[in-house]
Amino acid sequence: MIINGVTIDETFAEAFPMKGTRIIITAQNLEWAMNSAVAFTGFATSVIACGCEASIERPLDPSETPDGRPGVACLIFAMGGKGLAKQVETRAGQCVLTAPTTALFSGIEGEEGKDIALGKNLRFFGDGFQISKMIDGKRYWRIPVMDGEFLTQENTGVVSAVGGGNFLILAESQPQALAACEAAIKAMKKIPNVIMPFPGGVVRSGSKVGSKYKALSASTNDAFCPTLKGQTKTECSPEVESVMEIVIDGLTKEDIDKAMRVGIQAACDLGADNGIRRISAGNYGGKLGPFHFHLREIMA
Amino acid sequence: MSALTLTLKAEVAQRVDCSPLTPDKLAGKSADDIATIELVSGRLSLPVAALFDISGDDVNEIQFKNSSSKLDHVGHAMSQGTITIEGDVGAYLGQFMTGGNIIVHGDSFIYSGCEMKGGQIKIHGNAGDFVGAARSGYKNGMTGGTIIITGNSGERTGDHMRRGMILIEGNAGDYCGARMVSGTIAVIGDVGRHLGYGMKRGTLLLTKMPQHGIGANFNDCGAHTLSFLPLMFAAFKKLDSTFAKLEPFSRVQRYAGDIGSLGMGELLVKL
Repeated sequence: MIINGVTIDETFAEAFPMKGTRIIITAQNLEWAMNSAVAFTGFATSVIACGCEASIERPLDPSETPDGRPGVACLIFAMGGKGLAKQVETRAGQCVLTAPTTALFSGIEGEEGKDIALGKNLRFFGDGFQISKMIDGKRYWRIPVMDGEFLTQENTGVVSAVGGGNFLILAESQPQALAACEAAIKAMKKIPNVIMPFPGGVVRSGSKVGSKYKALSASTNDAFCPTLKGQTKTECSPEVESVMEIVIDGLTKEDIDKAMRVGIQAACDLGADNGIRRISAGNYGGKLGPFHFHLREIMA
Repeated sequence: MSALTLTLKAEVAQRVDCSPLTPDKLAGKSADDIATIELVSGRLSLPVAALFDISGDDVNEIQFKNSSSKLDHVGHAMSQGTITIEGDVGAYLGQFMTGGNIIVHGDSFIYSGCEMKGGQIKIHGNAGDFVGAARSGYKNGMTGGTIIITGNSGERTGDHMRRGMILIEGNAGDYCGARMVSGTIAVIGDVGRHLGYGMKRGTLLLTKMPQHGIGANFNDCGAHTLSFLPLMFAAFKKLDSTFAKLEPFSRVQRYAGDIGSLGMGELLVKL
C-alpha cells in the first residue's frame, strides 16, 4: 500500500489492556486549569517507570464542565485499577488540591462498584473542617484551603481501556520526521478519548522487549535506529535517516483506530516529496498484547 | 392499565394506617385482593373497600382522591412507583421510603418524610412539623432523598436530619435545622426563631437574612464565593420547583455553628 508516495508496511501495532479514567479540572480561568492539568499529567509518559500514562485530552468550554468554569479534561491510564487509584490520588493531592482556584471532577462513568477515589481521601487534609455534599446523587467534598474551598468529587469511574497503540514514521531526515509527527499529532488531538502520552506526543526512543543486559526488560529498538543500519538486522532502508514513533492510549480499540487513521493520513499528506518514506509499527510478534492494529486495514 | 385509584368515601372518624397501600406491597395483587386488605383505624381493622372506592389496576401508580389529613403512613417504606394524593394527607408521609415519588396536592400533617432514605416527596401545599425529622427517641432523621414543599413547613424541619435535601419554597417555622447532623435545607421565604439550634453539621441555605437574625451560637465566617453552589443550583434545575427558576448565586455570607453543639454546621445567606 502506497499513499502519496509513502509506503504503508504490511505490519501491525500491538497494544495491551489497561484501566483508565477521565478527570476534569476546572479553575477561575483556563490558564489555571491548564497549569494544574499539566502538573497532574506530568511525568506520565510510560507505565514502565512512571506508573501511569496520562495527558491532557482537551480544554473544555465552561458549558461542558460541571461547575460552569473553564476546564481541562485529562485521561490517565495504568496497568490495573489499584495502580490507577494510587496515581490518581497522589497526583490529585499534589497537583490539583494545591493549584489556586481549581476544582476536580470525574469525567467518566465506569462499571458500577469499581469507582476509585478522587477526593475521597484528600478530604482528610481538611482536618475535620471538610464538608460532604451529595448533589444529584454524587458525593462531593468541600475542603477548606487558604484560597477558599477546594471542591472535589469523591470518586471517579474506571473503564477498561487500551494502551500502546503506535505507528512509526520513517523519513529521510530528522526535521522531516518531526514535521510529519507534528502534523499527525495536530490531527490526532482532534479525536476524543485518546491521548499521546509522550512529550509533544512523539517518542524518539522506541523500544524492543529485552536487552543484552539482564537487568533491563526493554532496550533501544535497534532495527529502527538509522545509525545502526550497517551493524544490525535493520528495518531502515538506505535513504531513511530518522524514525519517530507516536504512541496512543485510548478508551477503546475503535478510538485508537480513528486516531491512527487520521495521524497516518496527516503524515502521508506531506508525502514522499517532503521526505516521508514509510509508515511502520511496533509489534512483538503478537506476544505482548491482544489488540492488533493492522496498518493497511486501518488505512484501507 | 390505568392508575389504581383509591377514593375516600367519606371523612374518617379515626386515623387510618395506610402503610399497606404502596406499590411494593400491592405488587401482583388484583383489585379484589386490594379490597380485602385490612387497614388499622383506631381500635378497628377495616377492609380497604369499606373506606375507599377502588378503580384502576396499575399498582405502580397509586392515586388517593378525596384524601384526608387522617390518612397516615401513606407511602410507608416504598421503594418505587408513584403515589399521588388529591387533598390533605396525614402523618408519617413517606416514612422509611427508599425510592419512588409521592406528590401531594394539599397539606401534609406532621413527620412528612420522616426517616426517609431516598426518592422524592413533593407537597403542593404546607407541611406540618418535623419534616424529614427523626421520630421522638430516634437519632437519625432523613438519610437521603428530596422533599419539596411549595408552601410553608412547620416547626423543627429537618430535626436530626442526616442526609438528603429539603427545599422549602415558602417559609420555615421555628427550630428549622435543629440538631441537624448533615444534609441541606434551603428556604426561599422567611425562617422562624432558633434557626439551626443544636446543629452539628449540614447546610442551611437562605435567600435572605433571617427576620429574627442569626443566633448567638453561630459565628460569622465572612463573605465567600463557594464553588459547590453552582452545582447545587444545576441540580435544582432538574426539579419541578421554584428552586429551578431561582437565579443561581454562589456569593454568600457564611455562619458556622451551632457552637453549643459540634459547630460544624453552616448557615449560608445569599449576598
